[in-house]
Amino acid sequence: MTPVQFFRTTALFLLAVFITNCGKDISPTEQLAPLTPAVADANAGTWKMIVLSGPTQIPVPTPAAVTDPTYVAELTSIHSAQATLTDDQKANITYWSAGGVLRWNEILRELVARADLPPAPNDDGTYPVPSAANPFAYPTYPFSNPPYAARAYSYVSVAQYDALKAAWYYKFLYNRASPSKVSSSIQSLMPTTGIPSYPSEDAVEAGVNLALLKLLFPTNADEITQHANDQQQAALLSGRAAPSEIAAGIALGQAVAAIFTTRAGSDGMKNAIGTPAIWQSLADTATARGEIAWKSQDGPPRPPMLPVFGQVKAWMLTPANIIAERPAPPPSTGSSQMQTEVTEVRDTVNNLTRDQLATVYKWADGVSTVTPPGHWNAIAVPYIEAASFSEVRAARAFALLNMAMHDAAIGCWDAKYFYFNPRPSQMSPDIKVMTGLPNFPAYVSGHSDFSAAGADVLSYLFPSQAAYFSSQMQEAAMSRLYAGIHYRSDIMAGLSQGKRIGDYTVRFAASDGAN
Amino acid sequence: MPPAPPLLLRALSALSLLLAIVPAHAQTAEDGIMLSRQKFCTGVFFSYDTWDHYWEGTLNRVNGNIGTVTTRTLSWTGNYAVNDRLNLLVTTPYVYTNASQGVLHGQAGFQDVSLAAKFKTLSVPVRQFGALRLITVLYGALPMTNYTPDLQPLSLGTHSKRIGGRGTLNLLGKRGLYVNGTTAYTFRGNVTLDRSSYFTNDQLYLSNQVAMPNLFEFGASAGYRHNDLTLIGNFTQQQTRGGGDIRRQDMPFVSNRVNFSKAGVTLTYPLPHIHDLQYWFIYSNTFDGRNVGQSNTYTTGLLYTFNFEKRARP
Repeated sequence: MTPVQFFRTTALFLLAVFITNCGKDISPTEQLAPLTPAVADANAGTWKMIVLSGPTQIPVPTPAAVTDPTYVAELTSIHSAQATLTDDQKANITYWSAGGVLRWNEILRELVARADLPPAPNDDGTYPVPSAANPFAYPTYPFSNPPYAARAYSYVSVAQYDALKAAWYYKFLYNRASPSKVSSSIQSLMPTTGIPSYPSEDAVEAGVNLALLKLLFPTNADEITQHANDQQQAALLSGRAAPSEIAAGIALGQAVAAIFTTRAGSDGMKNAIGTPAIWQSLADTATARGEIAWKSQDGPPRPPMLPVFGQVKAWMLTPANIIAERPAPPPSTGSSQMQTEVTEVRDTVNNLTRDQLATVYKWADGVSTVTPPGHWNAIAVPYIEAASFSEVRAARAFALLNMAMHDAAIGCWDAKYFYFNPRPSQMSPDIKVMTGLPNFPAYVSGHSDFSAAGADVLSYLFPSQAAYFSSQMQEAAMSRLYAGIHYRSDIMAGLSQGKRIGDYTVRFAASDGAN
Repeated sequence: MPPAPPLLLRALSALSLLLAIVPAHAQTAEDGIMLSRQKFCTGVFFSYDTWDHYWEGTLNRVNGNIGTVTTRTLSWTGNYAVNDRLNLLVTTPYVYTNASQGVLHGQAGFQDVSLAAKFKTLSVPVRQFGALRLITVLYGALPMTNYTPDLQPLSLGTHSKRIGGRGTLNLLGKRGLYVNGTTAYTFRGNVTLDRSSYFTNDQLYLSNQVAMPNLFEFGASAGYRHNDLTLIGNFTQQQTRGGGDIRRQDMPFVSNRVNFSKAGVTLTYPLPHIHDLQYWFIYSNTFDGRNVGQSNTYTTGLLYTFNFEKRARP
């Protein structure tokens, strides 16, 4: 073989290897197994509500008897639809058979990432503000930054959880079996659960998510509607729920969502952006205390992110609780401890190992991401899936997790704007950072706060995995020092505050009747 | 043996004339010039690339969070001529990036080693005028270090393994006319991120793997080349066969659809009094693009040729 022939052969071989290895499909969705609940949770109708007054606040009328002609006609329609299933319909059934709670959480994370972009500056150096009244105009509404996202995850999760508890109450009150059990001519194309099917839990989820996701992410209304329709279709075609069971579920879900919509309209979020006068007074207050006030390092300087978010209504804490959990002041900007911490940040970011850099990017969770609260939802998914929780118990897990992180966001934002502490790169302009610099004060670290609250709840739900959740929390928190955007004291105080705030939710969970 | 037909004689004489003007030096995988056998040409290039405007999708803008982005590249390069028909090329770049405004940390390190095998596939004399050659190139690139692709535009590169093929048609006239047309297609392997999900092309991907769209490129050059003195004008266009746009005010992403059109000049000059040492200067300007900086790139370098052939050429 001449060198040329050898080279040609080698090159062709390499090319073949490469072509077979590249172009691998990357599935955008989670690969989840069909859900067969380990426990039916028949008493979930008695579990403590969070916003609803009780399981019967929304009445669900008695279903028709199984011998009623309209119900019999519904069974016939399912039977004939099952005879002509398309491949798309089968794929849709497989997708939703993983459980709507997990699927809607996945969908919500995508909506958050899509909307997680700050507005571009105007030509005069000011910034436009997204408008809920005109969501499609640029900048589109919302800018799903971490506090917005924490609140969104919590609203959807809590509403879905309260609605499913009410659904479970009526399910076991009326004890209507699923169509595939009532009629032997109807196949069961999803795992059978033994859970009564009136009202349909899939439809309850579709109703809640349809209403609240459209409220929170209005520009995605068409896509959200499509998902809600798909989930109902999957419940119907799989033989799990009849049209009347789906209709009752949708009505219940939408009625519960309406209660949460009212709450969302008056929880303080509308005022969280503040006013130029408020922004100025925050700086003046810090200066009057003798501290260096935080300044935006965006170019051009951008108003601070949601400075009044600390006054948004929490789930488990009163406004007095939030103030009580406010951490002690950070080191004074003129102190030698501050100088020591600035030096630590500079030395760290300028001498990063590759492992530390990987930690920075694993946890960056900046623009166009699911944000830190979404990251903790993603961390929870495999444990919720592996536990084969019933839909209502899976909803409880996400509700507890996201209530704790929403409350942590409020406590964290309260501290950030109470102290208005500068970032390391403001204290020392030679400090350059390894990921996007968040446009809000440093103290306390949001990543640390979110992660401590999230790990607290997940460790309560899955105690055998507590060490793992704790390691992820530590990593997330320290990633901000490695990135050069937080001092160590931001991280330590954030971890402590997040744990204390998470404990409010854990205490609720310990006595909610689900244990 | 019957006498050779006059046509063949003419062709052979043209070929011998052509051999006489085959340059001692050649460098890039894109040009139509071959290094003659048993020679090794090596040297160092320094490249300075700078932009303050860039295309965010198709929108041309500036960004106060980065100001002017500067990329400095120091490359060692080598080209070994196994014979007159096959040249093997290698390049190892060390890259420094920097943003003049904002707080983002510049990056520095070895980027991707690229290897190329350049074949003179066809060479046809064009009467008394010169020769037309078809050059084919197989090339590949491998990241040399574990740098992050997740800090665009300051990452050292895309951290993607690449392999591709190039075809170049070159006309070199005896009096120095140089006309070159080239096209290439590059396959790119998946990129692995340090994170478990990413959003691009209007979709959230729950994976650390990023599918990299392939690249198509074509270019044309024309100018003067004679006795190692070169002055040519270049045009190149790259099209990425997929990938998402940078969204409004978003950071760039590794698999973005990066398209550009560049124009520029190449000058090579044999240094007086130092045999076999050649000076290079290349300028290029990105005058149109998508998801890419509107850059000016200045490259300068020195190449020296070692001749390993013991005996004189026949």
